[in-house]
Amino acid sequence: MTISLRQRLSAYVILGILALLIVIPLIAGALTAFKPQIIWVSSPPIWIFQPTLENFEFVFIQRQNLLHLRNSLIIATGSVTIALILGVPAAYALARFRFRGSKGLLQWLISLRMIPPIVVALPFYVLFQTFDLRGTHFGLILAYLTFLIPLVIWMMRGYFVEIPSAMEESAMVEGYSRLQALRKVVLPVVTPGIIATALLNFIFAWNEYFLALILGGRDTSTLPVAAATYVGRARVEWGNLFAVNLIIMLPVIILTIILRRQLVKGLALGLVE
Amino acid sequence: MTASTEVKPVATGAGAFRRWLYRMSQKYVHWFFIAPALIAVLVVAIYPIVYSTGLSFFRVTFDSRERPFVLFENFAWVLSDPDYRVVFGNTLLYVFVTVSGAFVLGFGAALLLRRITAGRNWLRLILLLPLTIAPIVVGLTWNWMLDPLFGLINWILTGLGLPPQTWLASTSTARIAVMLVDIWQWYPLIFLIMDAGLSGLPRAPYESARLEGASEWTIFRRITLPLLRPVILVALLLRTVDAFRTFDLVRVMTDGGPAYTTETLSLYLYRTAFNFNKLSRAGAGSMIMLLVIGIISALMFRYLYRDVERR
Amino acid sequence: MKVVLQDLVKQYPSSSSVAVNHVNLTIDNGELAVFLGPSGCGKTTTMRIIAGLETPDSGHVFIGERDVTDLASKDRRVAMVFQNFSMYPSMTVYENIAFPLQVLKLSKDEIDRQVKEAAGLVGVGHLLQRSSRQVSGGEAQRVALARSMVRRPEVFLMDEPLSSLDAKLRIQLRMEIKRLHQETGTTVIFVTHDQEEAMSLGDKIVVMDHGNVQQVGTPQEVFFNPRNVFVANFVGTPTMNMFDGTIKPNGGGLCVDLAGIELKLPDRFPGAGPGMPVTWGVRPESVKIADEGQPGDVPGTIELIEALGSRQQVFVRAGDKLFSAMIDALHPVRVGERVHLRFDHRGTHLFNAQTGLSLAEQH
Ligand SMILES: Nc1ncnc2c1ncn2[C@@H]1O[C@H](COP(=O)(O)OP(=O)(O)O)[C@@H](O)[C@H]1O
Ligand SMILES: [Mg+2]
Repeated sequence: MTISLRQRLSAYVILGILALLIVIPLIAGALTAFKPQIIWVSSPPIWIFQPTLENFEFVFIQRQNLLHLRNSLIIATGSVTIALILGVPAAYALARFRFRGSKGLLQWLISLRMIPPIVVALPFYVLFQTFDLRGTHFGLILAYLTFLIPLVIWMMRGYFVEIPSAMEESAMVEGYSRLQALRKVVLPVVTPGIIATALLNFIFAWNEYFLALILGGRDTSTLPVAAATYVGRARVEWGNLFAVNLIIMLPVIILTIILRRQLVKGLALGLVE
Repeated sequence: MTASTEVKPVATGAGAFRRWLYRMSQKYVHWFFIAPALIAVLVVAIYPIVYSTGLSFFRVTFDSRERPFVLFENFAWVLSDPDYRVVFGNTLLYVFVTVSGAFVLGFGAALLLRRITAGRNWLRLILLLPLTIAPIVVGLTWNWMLDPLFGLINWILTGLGLPPQTWLASTSTARIAVMLVDIWQWYPLIFLIMDAGLSGLPRAPYESARLEGASEWTIFRRITLPLLRPVILVALLLRTVDAFRTFDLVRVMTDGGPAYTTETLSLYLYRTAFNFNKLSRAGAGSMIMLLVIGIISALMFRYLYRDVERR
Repeated sequence: MKVVLQDLVKQYPSSSSVAVNHVNLTIDNGELAVFLGPSGCGKTTTMRIIAGLETPDSGHVFIGERDVTDLASKDRRVAMVFQNFSMYPSMTVYENIAFPLQVLKLSKDEIDRQVKEAAGLVGVGHLLQRSSRQVSGGEAQRVALARSMVRRPEVFLMDEPLSSLDAKLRIQLRMEIKRLHQETGTTVIFVTHDQEEAMSLGDKIVVMDHGNVQQVGTPQEVFFNPRNVFVANFVGTPTMNMFDGTIKPNGGGLCVDLAGIELKLPDRFPGAGPGMPVTWGVRPESVKIADEGQPGDVPGTIELIEALGSRQQVFVRAGDKLFSAMIDALHPVRVGERVHLRFDHRGTHLFNAQTGLSLAEQH
């Protein structure tokens, strides 16, 4: 196909505008996190200033956001780890074995992803009172599994389907049990897939707000819940707010940049089935 | 074929048990792998749904000691609540606008990306960013961008000689502003999916179509779209289901206001349960929501599978 | 080791037809047996049952005197080379070949010695440090062979190990497999859908179709004495000429009436009797083309000629039938020429049209 210069130029212009529309708000917001209080808000916007870390100091110490950061880390890593431990073997079996009802089971598991969180939030709220799980990390981890396990199964199945089953069967003929064969020959090959899956699930759990808001207690609030509390106040503390925003965004963006190839492949694999 | 096939297996005692054990382990290996996840899912997903269904047939508040059985009272209440109807309409509109907006923008960007060479990977990376950022953060960032006094958007508007707007506080603009932000966050998902889909297209049909002198538009309509149909459907399905349950963005940007113009189903049900203490009514409302989402996705699935089978 | 399959039956739960249907088979110690049949006939399934990767619905597998039917793959002491898989991608050539030895808890030196020996035997000794991405398809298949050898299995199972290679490499590796078999003397079961490969490799050929064993025999037996229509049709390229007809009395003997063509039957077919519907066949190699007719010849016109190097395949129309003949390339023929077909009686076959079974004397 030949693309005329005009077509190419217009493509660059439009895509350039789209990229700027994404980047400018993010950068403008990130800058605000480093602004001293007097220029948190200003019109026209100020781009050049003496950066300060006082906002971070304030949110971490005065507003206890360090505690929220800790909660977010515990809950996200905890739920992703458990979801992987439970979901990866199931994904393997659903990729490998055809048995009565296997197709239906797969579709059913994947469709769980579509449950609106409110549907599980209400009963969890009631049940957590009964079982004394409100305000515990474990309670939120449990609630997150509702969405993470189907996501793990969905993504990982795509990776397992790509690996010929002869790989572990060969090892099984060569003297290994199925579990040994999986560990020694299949695991090294799916590791990139597991990393991508873990990352996507981590992002999901890390960013989650709704369940954390309803099911988290005072001591288990996560960062997104903490961030949202900054708007309710009479005067929004923009600098402090953006400091928290940046703490939420930064790990995810860094991981995304490092692992973007695996991430895109993982997303596409699960989708284009 | 020969006499030596007459060896007879001996099946007695411990040997027989070991054989049986082997057979069973071969026959049911898959459950060994699936059972843990399945049990977990039954506990964390199915039990709550069943519980929620049960809840909606009783009258339950957070402090109620007695929970009388009321059959369809909660459903009747929800369905006859005028607010619910407004909110349902809002949500449908929200889903329609944000999904089609994201689709047009995302697919368009993916097609445009085909035309350029330099900087492709940079664009892919930048377009990946909004997806990975918490909706809460996106909403808060745009609150600041849209601030009537010092927001970047109004500063640009006045620079262009246009009147500044109170974006999130006025009934005429709040809806559109929130929906635009939603599109901002999610069109990259469509872009990503379509980009992957376009990269995976076979070359042969295009080459032969060009040899036959078909126009670019014909090629797009007759080759690209049919080939991408399954991918498009999956993308739309995902986006629709997610848009239906939007909560975070609306919650931090407008909290449903002004005058309920941006109230979505999730927000409404949240309020019914936690602000107005009508747990079982919210339960009934969420069941209806689940049903609607189920029907929509079942229809799309059917459509998708028909498509896949025909090929 | 001797391998005995006793009345094996296997049907996949998701499939409506049986993949392996009451298979009985004995493969003697040290034999190289080839499973031959069209794709989907159950070769792989039979092999997987022998390897323990699939459990039969009924029947038994014996290796030597052991009933291994309910023994895990890892305990069967067999080795398998797969059709679509050759190397563990996460390991080097060396690690691949060492992999089956590691589970045996041998000393490092012992493993090293055996890896190098096996690698040398299949000619990948110089590639040991390469990763799986740095070897060609043929080399990878050699690594798979080496890996299957190191454990000194009692039976080698090879499922179309050469089908993904190009023709020249395929023939080369085929010869090496034959050589390795002769050197080690281990029983080999080799699966292929390529009958030329089967003919050149096998001591014994097991022809399969639709999960059934159609014939077991040496390459010569399968080629010259096909037991039924399927084997006659499947074995041999180009395929046998076959036409339906009926048996008629003719003078003192019998003849076959192929609707317009009558051919005298030699007395090699004791099963034939007047009135019987039959399928008559002749291999293209046994069809001669003559310019001058003799009694018993079939006249026809040359319709198409395909040059095949030292031979040429000539298609001759006689009435409504098209015969193919394999003749010497130097024999002068041209399209449109009127010729006479003469059949070498030793190359003709007769089958009962209803049962498909051969009517020739069975040895
Ligand atoms: N895993 C499976 N599930 C269902 N049917 C199968 C499976 N594997 C093979 N089959 C079916 O069993 C029959 C025999 O297959 P196979 O043994 O692979 O044949 P071959 O190796 O001779 O080509 C075929 O009809 C095939 O479709
Ligand atoms: Mg096969």
